[in-house]
Amino acid sequence: MTTTESDGPMTTEATPQVATVGPRTLAWQRRRHSAVRFWRQYRTHRAGVFGLAALSLFALIALTAPLTVGSDVQSVTGAPGGPMESPSARFPLGTDQFGRNLLGLVVWGARVSLLVGLLAAVLSVAIGALIGITAGHFRGWYATVIMRITDWFLVMPTLVLAIALMTVMSRSIGTIILAIGVTTWPTTARLVRAQTLAVESRPYIERAKALGGGHWHIMSRHVLPNVMPLVLAQTTLIISSAILAEATLAFLGLGDPTVVSWGGLLQDAREAGAVSAGKWWYLVPPGVAIAVVALAFTLCGRAVESVLNPKLGVTR
Amino acid sequence: MNRHDQPNRGRLRLRLLAAAGAAALTLTAGLATPLNPAPQQAQAKGSQQATESKKEGKKVLTVAVAQSVDSLSPFLASRLLSTSIHRLMYEYLTNYDPADNHTVPGLATKWEPSADKLTWTYTIRSNSKWSDGQQATAQDAAWTFNKMMTDQGAATANGSFVTNFRKVTAPSPTQLVIELKKPQATMGALDVPIVPQHIWEKVKDFSKFNNDQSFPIVGNGPFVLTAYKADSYVRLKPNKTFWRGAPKFDELVFKYFKDQDAAVAALRKGEVSFVAGSPALTPAQAASLKGEPNIKVNDAPGRRFYALATNPGAQAKDGKHFGDGAESLLNQKVRQALFMAIDRKTLIDKVFQGHAVEGAGYIPPRFSTYHWKPSASQELAYDPAKAAQLLDAAGYKKNADGKRVEKNGKPIDYRILCHATDPNDKAVGQYVKEWFGKLGIGVTLNCLDNVTDPWLAGKYDLAFDGWSVNPDPDFVLSIHTCGALPATPKDTGATDNFICDKKYDELYDQQLAEYDTAKRADLVKQMESRLYDTGYMNVMAYPNAVEAYRTDQIKSIETMPKAAGNIYGQDGYWSWWSAVPADASGASSDGSSSTGVIIGIVAGVVALVGVGAFFAMRRRATAEDRE
Repeated sequence: MTTTESDGPMTTEATPQVATVGPRTLAWQRRRHSAVRFWRQYRTHRAGVFGLAALSLFALIALTAPLTVGSDVQSVTGAPGGPMESPSARFPLGTDQFGRNLLGLVVWGARVSLLVGLLAAVLSVAIGALIGITAGHFRGWYATVIMRITDWFLVMPTLVLAIALMTVMSRSIGTIILAIGVTTWPTTARLVRAQTLAVESRPYIERAKALGGGHWHIMSRHVLPNVMPLVLAQTTLIISSAILAEATLAFLGLGDPTVVSWGGLLQDAREAGAVSAGKWWYLVPPGVAIAVVALAFTLCGRAVESVLNPKLGVTR
Repeated sequence: MNRHDQPNRGRLRLRLLAAAGAAALTLTAGLATPLNPAPQQAQAKGSQQATESKKEGKKVLTVAVAQSVDSLSPFLASRLLSTSIHRLMYEYLTNYDPADNHTVPGLATKWEPSADKLTWTYTIRSNSKWSDGQQATAQDAAWTFNKMMTDQGAATANGSFVTNFRKVTAPSPTQLVIELKKPQATMGALDVPIVPQHIWEKVKDFSKFNNDQSFPIVGNGPFVLTAYKADSYVRLKPNKTFWRGAPKFDELVFKYFKDQDAAVAALRKGEVSFVAGSPALTPAQAASLKGEPNIKVNDAPGRRFYALATNPGAQAKDGKHFGDGAESLLNQKVRQALFMAIDRKTLIDKVFQGHAVEGAGYIPPRFSTYHWKPSASQELAYDPAKAAQLLDAAGYKKNADGKRVEKNGKPIDYRILCHATDPNDKAVGQYVKEWFGKLGIGVTLNCLDNVTDPWLAGKYDLAFDGWSVNPDPDFVLSIHTCGALPATPKDTGATDNFICDKKYDELYDQQLAEYDTAKRADLVKQMESRLYDTGYMNVMAYPNAVEAYRTDQIKSIETMPKAAGNIYGQDGYWSWWSAVPADASGASSDGSSSTGVIIGIVAGVVALVGVGAFFAMRRRATAEDRE
């Protein structure tokens, strides 16, 4: 609704000035304009800016981890400290049960947690968008069948389904991504379908059909760009729940025990008896990291949503 | 006997629930205020009940356990908790002395062989009664053994004891006669619970009957089982007419805590009197409990070995091979190289943090008669360079990527079967992965809640393995003989790891027929030496039994052996039978229960005030709005 061909005002304003340039340049100009406008509006959401800053920081930490801590930090045979040492100058967050540096592990764990969160969210939203658009476009028996399947997945407890998937497949990061991705898509599918129905009822879709636009053309050229803002906001929101789901699954011991992730660290801490022994430094850093990143993604997602969704934007 | 592995599905579910709860608490730490009062109130309620029962003067010994009961039928049970409970419910013919493990009278007062040692006559005591009032006689014992000899289903758990029996009769109520096919050294250590014939002859299918239909269960041990709920509790009442004397506590309860940390917290609060060291308390838990008042940590040499078992190419008695164990592991040199790649000392220092003894032979040093250690020349000590040489010599060379390859050219990647419920498996697995990685061998840790299925199907390369050893080692030795293999690939055999070695089997038959203890011990040591050389079982450690109990609830309790022994999972009923309750009926635990009540009340009041304030604010807000 906001960034599409059908949106009149910007295009008509721009046309007289750039009468000489081709349609491609025009499109790019328009996109740049809308990006600038998006950013200008986004900046007004202070929480969103805070979330973005926190995310950039974590992304930077995760990307530079090979340079700052190095993959040796995971090695148990080369662990530098004693088991569960309390925080000191040498180990600012103490050590884990093997004597590994916990600060390094939390930094290294950010890579897995963020990677799984991002990929699982992308997978989930991709499935949801595909199903939502096709169900909204084709209607009829196809939509009925597909939406009943969606309903079925919607009422299934996500965690239980993910655990069931994890237990039948081999333990790896790919499995976790798949398990989260294929269990969290129904809400996206429902949202996207509703938006698709709204878009397809507009007259220009009818015009496109009259001009000979096929199913693929309508869905990819007209519907998809219109539901994209929704999909984008949904992705940002799902990332935080995917990160939480990854941490939960790892905490339940369903992850690969040799891979360092935040949830895995919590699981290690629990199994080593750190909770009853009062070794807080083993539990708090990964827990705080999970909470902060999940919060940051939620803040970003909410801000993106309120910028892109006119219904939410009006009240602001 | 007493297998430690293979937890079941029920256990998984409870663990998940507990863990999910814990996860929810961790992840929503700041938000959980509405959740907080609830557990405190529940706890206050629990301690109120405890106080009430104390007022009646009832002394309850509560033991926190984690392992599920596989079956309450003595013919089927093989897990440590189940067999320990059977020790409490039923008398065995003989028992082991708690001080030094020598055989002492149980249901039998006397046992002696004929001159050719093929006929054994047991005198059955006349002062043992079943809990329904009937006399326990030799006929019950004869019936139990005959059932195991004739019914395949009744031989599931303890069949190895009776395979050599020719005939068992009871000429009189106090006399049991067992005729053997061949001499058998374990006649003084028949670890078989004797069941009442008049109850059990009604059972139709022994392979399915779990003995959990009607309570109390009729028995003649020091305790009578009165109630059982899977993965919740097992309740036992003392048998007041027990011939050795009645136990001192008024009730013995095994209560389930699927999370070891939760059990430790319950011990601190006085909700449980004892935390079973199975799995052992972690070093961090033991260290933090050592400083607590009124809590004693018992850290004793264990009766268990902890090994990395190799799939020797799973096979059945009919000669059919099955499973998908790695080809390279069939090579003895490769297995020995894997031995040399593992630094057992580091594992003791880092993973067990001193709460274990470095592994060597198959039988733990606690059973000194049968314990064996490799000589310096025979020992496969930690030596990665030599391990690499061995692998090169065996033809498993590194490829361009630095990975060793199978004969078919594929990189070696061993799947290690590990128990998701045992933290040690995961920790040791990480070390093994790095050590093998340096040799150019890939490792995939396959941690499962139910390892039984891939294990029985032979679908693994290496596996973490561990058994509790009895004072008489016959059982743990028998599980590596060819005779223990499953009849066909579809059957379940008594075998631990599909090992079938001709030389080992010859020695096994010899030791079983040897009545002279010194000579038998020598043969057993030769077996251990042979097993070590084959490289099938890499015994990495003998973990200690690390357990803890409240001294303000248990005044004294017997360890086995007396000097530095374990309490939970003994070869006998000594610990629970001998436990003496503390006299001053737990002043401190009363205190803690009243604090629980106070906390509950305070939390309730705070919650009420909060809710009240919230509504007051709301009302004011609406009032302001109206203005």
